[in-house]
Amino acid sequence: MAQQANIGDLLSMLDSPVLSVRDDVTAVFKENLTSDRGPVLVNTLVDYYLETSSQPVLHILTTLQEPHDKHLLDKMNEYVGKAASRLSTLSLLGHVIRLQPSWKHKLSQAPLLPSLLKCLKTDTDVLVLTTGVLVLITMLPMIPQSGKQHLHDFFDIFGRLSSWCLKKPGHVTEVYLVHLHASVYALFHRLYGMYPCNFVSFLRSHYSMKENLETFEEVVKPMMEHVRIHPELVTGSKDHELDPRRWRRLETHDVVIECAKISLDPTEASYEDGYSVSHQISARFPHRSADVTASPHVDTQNSYGSATSTPHSISRLTLSNTPGQLPQTLSSPPTRLLTEPPQATLWSPSMVCGMTTPPTSPGNVPPDLSHPYSKVFGTTGGKGTPLGTPATSPPPAPLCHSDEYVHISLPQATTTPAKKEERTDSARPWLHRQHHLPNDRGPEELPGSKGSVTLSDLPGFLGDLASEEDSIEKDKEEAAISKELSEITTADAELLVPRGGFDSPFYRDSLPGCPRKTHSAASGPQGTSANPEPLNSSLDKLGPDTPKQAFTPIDLPCGGSEEGPVGNRGRQASLETSILTPSPCKIPPPRGAGFGSGQPPPYDHLFEVALPKTAHHFVSKKTEELLKKAKGNAEEDSWPSTSPVEVLDRLIQQGADAHSKELNKLSLPSKSVDWTHFGDEIRTLRNQLLLLHNQLLYERFKRQQHAVRNRRLLRKVIKAAALEEHNAAMKDQLKLQEKDIQIWKVSLQKEQARYSQLQEQRDTVVTQLHSQIRQLQHDREEFYNQSQELQTKLEDCRNMIAELRLELKKASSKVCHTELLLSQVSQKLSNSESVQQQMEFLNRQLLVLGEVNELYLEQLQNKHSDTTKEVEMMKAAYRKELEKNRSHVLQQNQRLDTSQKRILELESHLAKKDHLLLEQKKYLEDVKLQARGQLQAAESRYEAQKRITQAFELEILDLYGRLEKDGLLKKLEEEKTEAAEAAEERPDCCNDGCSDSVIGHNEEASGHNGETKPPRPGSTRGSSGSRGGGGSSSSSELSTPEKPPNQRAGPFSSRWETAVGEPSTSIPTTVGSLPSSKSFLGMKARELFRNKSESQCDEDSMTISSLSETLKTELGKDSGVEAKTPLNLDGPYPSPPNPDSVGQLHIMDYNETHHEHS
Amino acid sequence: MTEDSQRNFRSVYYEKVGFRGVEEKKSLEILLKDDRLDIEKLCTFSQRFPLPSMYRALVWKVLLGILPPHHESHAQVMMYRKEQYSDVLHALRVVRFVSDATPQVEVYLRMYQLESGKLPRSPSFPREPEDEVFLAIAKAMEEMVEDSVDCYWIIRCFVNQLNSKYRDSLPQLPKAFEQYLNLEDSRLLSHLKTCSAVSKLPYDLWFKRCFAGCLPESSLQRVWDKVVSGSCKILVFVAVEILLTFKIKVMALNSAEKITKFLENIPQDSSDAIVSKAIDLWHKHCGTPVHSA
Repeated sequence: MAQQANIGDLLSMLDSPVLSVRDDVTAVFKENLTSDRGPVLVNTLVDYYLETSSQPVLHILTTLQEPHDKHLLDKMNEYVGKAASRLSTLSLLGHVIRLQPSWKHKLSQAPLLPSLLKCLKTDTDVLVLTTGVLVLITMLPMIPQSGKQHLHDFFDIFGRLSSWCLKKPGHVTEVYLVHLHASVYALFHRLYGMYPCNFVSFLRSHYSMKENLETFEEVVKPMMEHVRIHPELVTGSKDHELDPRRWRRLETHDVVIECAKISLDPTEASYEDGYSVSHQISARFPHRSADVTASPHVDTQNSYGSATSTPHSISRLTLSNTPGQLPQTLSSPPTRLLTEPPQATLWSPSMVCGMTTPPTSPGNVPPDLSHPYSKVFGTTGGKGTPLGTPATSPPPAPLCHSDEYVHISLPQATTTPAKKEERTDSARPWLHRQHHLPNDRGPEELPGSKGSVTLSDLPGFLGDLASEEDSIEKDKEEAAISKELSEITTADAELLVPRGGFDSPFYRDSLPGCPRKTHSAASGPQGTSANPEPLNSSLDKLGPDTPKQAFTPIDLPCGGSEEGPVGNRGRQASLETSILTPSPCKIPPPRGAGFGSGQPPPYDHLFEVALPKTAHHFVSKKTEELLKKAKGNAEEDSWPSTSPVEVLDRLIQQGADAHSKELNKLSLPSKSVDWTHFGDEIRTLRNQLLLLHNQLLYERFKRQQHAVRNRRLLRKVIKAAALEEHNAAMKDQLKLQEKDIQIWKVSLQKEQARYSQLQEQRDTVVTQLHSQIRQLQHDREEFYNQSQELQTKLEDCRNMIAELRLELKKASSKVCHTELLLSQVSQKLSNSESVQQQMEFLNRQLLVLGEVNELYLEQLQNKHSDTTKEVEMMKAAYRKELEKNRSHVLQQNQRLDTSQKRILELESHLAKKDHLLLEQKKYLEDVKLQARGQLQAAESRYEAQKRITQAFELEILDLYGRLEKDGLLKKLEEEKTEAAEAAEERPDCCNDGCSDSVIGHNEEASGHNGETKPPRPGSTRGSSGSRGGGGSSSSSELSTPEKPPNQRAGPFSSRWETAVGEPSTSIPTTVGSLPSSKSFLGMKARELFRNKSESQCDEDSMTISSLSETLKTELGKDSGVEAKTPLNLDGPYPSPPNPDSVGQLHIMDYNETHHEHS
Repeated sequence: MTEDSQRNFRSVYYEKVGFRGVEEKKSLEILLKDDRLDIEKLCTFSQRFPLPSMYRALVWKVLLGILPPHHESHAQVMMYRKEQYSDVLHALRVVRFVSDATPQVEVYLRMYQLESGKLPRSPSFPREPEDEVFLAIAKAMEEMVEDSVDCYWIIRCFVNQLNSKYRDSLPQLPKAFEQYLNLEDSRLLSHLKTCSAVSKLPYDLWFKRCFAGCLPESSLQRVWDKVVSGSCKILVFVAVEILLTFKIKVMALNSAEKITKFLENIPQDSSDAIVSKAIDLWHKHCGTPVHSA
């Protein structure tokens, strides 16, 4: 609560008259707001403002920062709901919004917006409605994307309010309705500019209904006449309009300008991007073409005019240069300026930027304007009007000068409003001039060859285009200008009230305007009065006064001092021209006539043609005003084409008039005292004031948007300038570089020259060298040939040398040979010498010997003469003997030789023999080996045989064993029966068989088996065989049937014979002669048994002899033969015994005898 | 080397590539062409190379002394051998040891017994272990040699050689076996020792019967080539190689009985490889017999 109280105190302190205190408190509030986030402070502030509408609080509220916006909006929402506080809240909202707070995008989401819309839909208070609508219009470009949700609300509001304008429900005063109408008109523009498709479809649906048709006819249709076809209607769609992407790129001022673009209402319109140009061209082009076709002469004049105007324009240029505003742009294209001076005079940033802002529309006029000027000069100069030149030429200079001066003098902060003013101002003079100049032109053209033609043709030519719109457009444009003027005035009036009017351009203007005043004072008496006053006075005069006067009052307020002379001059000029040239188209009379009749004067077309817009505008305005005055305010609305804004303007003017009158009438004290008297009136006035204030604020907002845009454009201009500067710098650099390049090129050429020179030198050197080379090569060839020749010579020489060498060799060999020969010869020589020596020696000896011989012969002859015979005989004998011996020796030698040869022969023989012997031995060995192999095989065979026989024997013995066993058993039985007989023979038997009981038993057994006859006693081992044989023979004797098998058994196996025969023969080993003579068998046997040991032999023989009996072999057969002999008588074989058998017998006998003997 | 001149010049490459027996046959033919065959050379040859089967019987007969080295006497000697065979056979028939129904192997046995004088008193007498060995060898030999006379003689001489020439070396073979097994794979030997199977290995089968009945005849005859040509050590290496080849299985077996049983009935499919490896092993350890020309 303390805080609350504190806040209350502070709030009260806010309104303190002390500035410092106020600032301090404001600072304190702002601090609190930054530190505190609660809604309390904001709420209190709002409350306080609504109570007191204190400016500092408003200031604080409008500069609220982000976190408090919600509280503020909530609070306002709350108050909007209440009918009492609605208006003030809305105005607060308007204030807040116009400053475009950083949180403006939140507005679309805030609950305040729907409640505002609701209030607009339901409320019946015009004040609230107008304020609300203006707020809404201000708000719309800030939240374009919110249209999606509230679009139909907007449209509904529009529909409601537009119908309101017509139906006037309740007791709404007309004055308010004018305001409302103006704001609805603004809303219409805004909605149509932003959402054309949707809006048009809404209009279509809404006004297709019958009950709304009237509203449409009365209210909406006139509004529609002030807009062009929106391009979006062609290219866009309903959805596209509402697409947030479309709006994202656009800022608030962009949206505002967009909306202004489509307006045809000059008060609303923004002539950008050639819309206005096209608009102008549409009006101007036919004129131009007509002009050109009709009078080429005019064109030459035009050019001439422009040429003549150059000094003037230059002078102006110099003037404009001196202020130094953007001098580079002016200085860099001076040529252009020369040809197009008026453009330079009307320089605007938008021109440079290539952008068009509202003021550029007049900017396009100057080319036309140049003509008037030149024509004016031409006419004045050519026709020697002394008044024209001095009057016309000086004014532009100060005019422009002042123009520029204003531009410069105004600081940047205040530029925007000032500029706006100045633009309009700067435009205005031209308008006026244009307005006048055609008048000049008309007469000027008349003297031309085709002057009459143009005059007569032009209206018809342009009639179609302009006639319909004449009255309307005139009115409209007039209204626009007057509205602007009224705005200025109201602004002034208002500014004076709340701000003291310090930042008003007029306030500024008033100061520099002082010198002008003097100037204007010279030209016109109205200029001397103060700014508002001339305006008022002019307005006052305008109403009832003649049209002539209409020129001045309007000129004065807008142009101030500047326009004055122009207007005057123009008028003077026109008057002069009219005087000079007796033209039917004099301005004042037709105008007056036109005015009177209400029809546009015939030459009005000319205005339109020459000055399609401004002239029209002006004239129509005048006529409309007059008409309005004539018909009264009531008829204002009946003019469907009249813009509500103009109506409002007029209302304001009237209001201002009334106010001034009232003010004049009433003294201030009485006013304050008697205000209850006029309570009603005053309230309406208050309300009107409020509405006007709102309107003003709205317009200011628009102006700010324009200012923002202008700032941006200016930045672009500066940038462009910088770029151009840069460009220039680059160009300079380029030039420098080009210079460099030039230098380089020159040096390059030099170098090339040098190079070519060097090349030539080189070439010459090369050619020289080539020739040298050629020469050298030639030399070389020669040398080569020479060397070839020399080589062939060398070859020859070599050959010769070789030949010579060969010869040398031959010679040396010859020498050698000869040397050899020589040596031989020398040897021979030496030999012969020695031989000679010897010969000499021998000769000497011979001589000596001969002497000796002689000596001896002498001696011999002397001594031995008698023994010579004997000696000779002996000698002879001796010689013979010697010869004999010699031959003997020879013989001996020969013998020796032969014997030696023989020995050699024999030795060789011996060797051969030895060799043979060796071979033989080898062979023998081989054969022996072979034989041994065979023998081994045979031996193994033999071994095998032996084994076989052994096996057989074993088998046989086995069999015998078995047989004997059987026999023994039988014998035992027999013994029992023949015991006696056995007993007799037993002793012998025992004696004989005691040596070998088994054999004996066997014998006995066999004997018993074979025959019953008892065996012979005295049988020894040796005779046992024979005896056995005897036994067998006896048995054979007895049992003949046994014989054949035995005999058969003989040949049964010849091999057995040998084996068996052996023992039989081996028995009489002592008898050496027996086997050799006996048979081949015997021989073989002996051979076989040569190496056998005796014992083995015996053993074998013993065993075999014992077997022989049983086997009944040859022996048995022999014995059988032997035995046959005694039995010859009985036997069937009385054959003589063969020698073999006899032998056998002998042996047998011998054996027997031997045994018997032993 | 006289035969080298007649050898194919490609022989070197044959051996490098691994073809064996291409040149051996030729060189053997050259050897056999000599009159008075060189027994030494034949011995070396058969130890170095496997014999071609078409000459195997002839070479064996020559090496075993059934045929003399002279070609001239071959016919005669062979006639003798044939007669001897028929005589012995006849005798056996006479003494009724042999009948037509008697299996050929037993006939061979009886004949051998008869010739060596060991014929039992009765055919029904129980057989000696020697006879079993003989029978095994005969059975194997019967497969190798077609002619019964040749067969008998080769068996007879082979057995005689075992009994006479290798009488002393055969009992040494088990020790040599252990030694070489230790060299080749000591782990296996230690395994055998831990199983105490070393003494229970089928030495009779291996060394007395010379693997008759253990290896298939086709492989066995290559082993016997070496045995006939005078080396009984090959038997050791065959035994070692058998153990090495079946090492994994032997290692898996733990009892001596099982090992013995397994070794007595080894699978026959890898016998050829075993023999080849054994011969390589033998060559490795005892060196390739060099021709002593």
